[in-house]
Amino acid sequence: MGNQYVEMGLSAPVNVTWEVTYACNLSCIHCLSDSGKKRATELSTDECRRVIDDLSAMKVFQFNIGGGEPFMRPDFLDLMDYAHDKGMVTCISTNGTLIDRDIARRLDHRLVYIQVSLDGATPESNDPIRGKGSFQKVLHALECLRERNIEVSINTVLTRLSFPELDRMTSLAADYGAKLRVSRFRPSGRGKRSWSQLNVSADQMLAFSDWLSQHLGVSTGDSFFSVSTEERRSLGLNMCGACKLTCCISPEGGVYPCAFLQEADFRAGAVPGESFGDIWRHSPVFQSFRELEIKSCESCHRFDLCHGGCPAIAYHTQRKLGVADPGCLENCVRVKMPATVNA
Amino acid sequence: MHLDSVYRLAEGVQVRNEVFGLLFYDVRGPRLYFVPSKNMITDEFFEGKQQVADLLDRLCAEMPRPREWVHNQLGQILEKLARKGLICGQSIC
Repeated sequence: MGNQYVEMGLSAPVNVTWEVTYACNLSCIHCLSDSGKKRATELSTDECRRVIDDLSAMKVFQFNIGGGEPFMRPDFLDLMDYAHDKGMVTCISTNGTLIDRDIARRLDHRLVYIQVSLDGATPESNDPIRGKGSFQKVLHALECLRERNIEVSINTVLTRLSFPELDRMTSLAADYGAKLRVSRFRPSGRGKRSWSQLNVSADQMLAFSDWLSQHLGVSTGDSFFSVSTEERRSLGLNMCGACKLTCCISPEGGVYPCAFLQEADFRAGAVPGESFGDIWRHSPVFQSFRELEIKSCESCHRFDLCHGGCPAIAYHTQRKLGVADPGCLENCVRVKMPATVNA
Repeated sequence: MHLDSVYRLAEGVQVRNEVFGLLFYDVRGPRLYFVPSKNMITDEFFEGKQQVADLLDRLCAEMPRPREWVHNQLGQILEKLARKGLICGQSIC
C-alpha cells in the first residue's frame, strides 16, 4: 500500500459503501445497521441516480453495495445498470435469499461482483443467526450464480458461533466455485445487543489470526489488519481506510466515515442535496478523522501492520476515538477484550 | 516504447489524476497502484487518442530537461505500467 500517497489526500474515495435501503427480509442478530423495514426517508430512484452521477464525475472506482437487502428495492437492478453504464464497478453484498435465475441473468455483467452472506456451513449453525430457511435459499442463489459463472464470495462474519465452522465454510465455498471472505463483527446496529454473546474471545481471535495466515486465499475485506501477520502483509490495507480511501452513504443519503460509524456525531453531510466532493474534501468530520492519531499504539512493534486498528470498534466499546482497537493482536495477547458495549 | 504508439487501459482497469501522479485501480484483486508520474502523464493520455511522440514533444516544450531524459522517464513509466498489465500499447502506423 502506498501509505505516503494516501496521506497526501486522495481527490475521491477509491470505493464507497452504499447502503441502499434499510428494508430486509431477514433479521440477523448481528446486523450492522439494524435493518428491517423500509423507511420513508430513503433516497428515491432519481436521487440515487444523482448520487451515482456525482460519484462517477469524481472517478470513484467502485461501489460496495449493502443494506438492508439491496434486492428489496424494486429499482435496484436499474440503478446498478445506471452505475455500470458509467463504468463503475459494483460489489453487491446480499443475503442471497431473493436471487433466482432471472436475477442472476441480470447480474451477469463484467463490472459486478457478488458477496452472499452465510454464517455457518449447515442450516443448524447458520439459521439461528440469519433466520430459519435462509441456508437453503442461499445455496439456491449460489447455484444460480454458478450457472452463469458470476464471481461470488461467501461472506461470513466472525463470531463465536461461526469461528468453529471456518474450515467447513472454506470447503463449502470451494464446492460452489466461490471464495470465502471473513469479515469482522462490530458492535453497531443490532450488533450492539448481540456483541457480548457473539464476539469472539481473545483466544479465538489469536487462533483466527493463525488460521488466516494458513489460508491466504481467504479474503477479509481489510477487516482484520489489526490481527494480520506478516504472511498477509501484501494482501490488503495496513490501516483504517475511512475518510482516506473510503466512506459510507446511508439509505437516506447521510455520509459517514464507514458503515460502522453511522452515528449522529460522525455525519459529515448528506447527498444528493450537498456535493459529495465538498463533503469529501471539506467536511470537519472527515478532516478530523484523517488527523486521528492513536498515540498509545505508536511504540507497538505491530504499529506498521495496523496503525491502531479499527476506530469503530474502539469507539463502540470505549466511546472515544484515538484509542487502541481492543481486539488487536497485542491486546488479545495481553488483556481480555471488553465484553460490553457502551450504548 | 514506440513513439508511434497509443496506450489504452487494460480490461478492468481505471485511472485518475491525483496530486502525486496517477492512481490506477485494477478490478482483479481489486488492486491499487500509486504511480508518482511527476505530472508527466495525465489520465486522458490513456484514452488512446495521443501518440507517445506527441506527448514527448509537449513535455519537452514544457520541461527544462534534455529530450533524452524525458524520453527515458516516460519510457520507464509506460513500460512499468504495461508490465503490470495496467495498459496496452498499440502502434497506429
